Amino acid sequence: MELKELFNESNVELNLDADGKDEVLLSLIGLLKLDDKAKEMLFKMLKKRENLGSTGIGKGFAIPHCRSLVVDKLNVAFARHPNGVDFNSIDGKPANFFFLIVAPPVEISNYYLPVLGKVAQFCKTPEIVSKLRSLKTVDDFLELLDKASS
Amino acid sequence: MQESQLRLLMFLQDLLSLKKEIQDFQVVEKYEEMGFAFDRKERIEEAIKEVTEQLDPELYRRFLQIAKKYDRPLAPVINGVCYGCFVSTPTGSKLVTQNKDVIEFCNHCGRILYRAG
Repeated sequence: MELKELFNESNVELNLDADGKDEVLLSLIGLLKLDDKAKEMLFKMLKKRENLGSTGIGKGFAIPHCRSLVVDKLNVAFARHPNGVDFNSIDGKPANFFFLIVAPPVEISNYYLPVLGKVAQFCKTPEIVSKLRSLKTVDDFLELLDKASS
Repeated sequence: MQESQLRLLMFLQDLLSLKKEIQDFQVVEKYEEMGFAFDRKERIEEAIKEVTEQLDPELYRRFLQIAKKYDRPLAPVINGVCYGCFVSTPTGSKLVTQNKDVIEFCNHCGRILYRAG
């Protein structure tokens, strides 16, 4: 499973308008097109996951993730915040780039950890921050994912 | 609005799965290699307690009873089939026909059912 195959126009937001960690999580969840009850439960679960240790991995990246019964397949989203948001990241700096990864507790394909690993690896690509900052369209983002993984 | 007992049970199962995951040394090592920190693991217990305190005691007792038999006491219903045991659920199930958050047990395996997706 290539990262590019998971993202599209509907789950990518390049101009995230959110103030604070909770708003970022809610906006990311909003990109998944779930019903209201599912959104609410997922938000609570992601918050509990964040309570165990921030998913802000530093250098401007955060990868909130969890497994939840409210989804029946792997779901992902990406958002870019122009100014950055305090996400309690390990380096203490604001996060600008957010990947959300959610999967059901049991997946036949078992993509969750491999996809999480690929996203974490993507975030370590040289000069990735400047490339992500200069993206203009979702297609640019998909192309970047493609190039980084090839 | 008060959360339904079914939603609380689903949340509880998610938290218990997370607890199991972070107790697995190999899985945590993978997460740490990716750059994630689990520096406040003990907070999972508080989260679980918070949910169990809101559950009906009899329902929670039943959940624990099912958990003795199955790793995951809740199972999704997809196209009228319990995905715990793969046996069809009753045709009159409100969970299936009305999409309501009701507590229903699989007639075959006894797991608590929820609508998937």
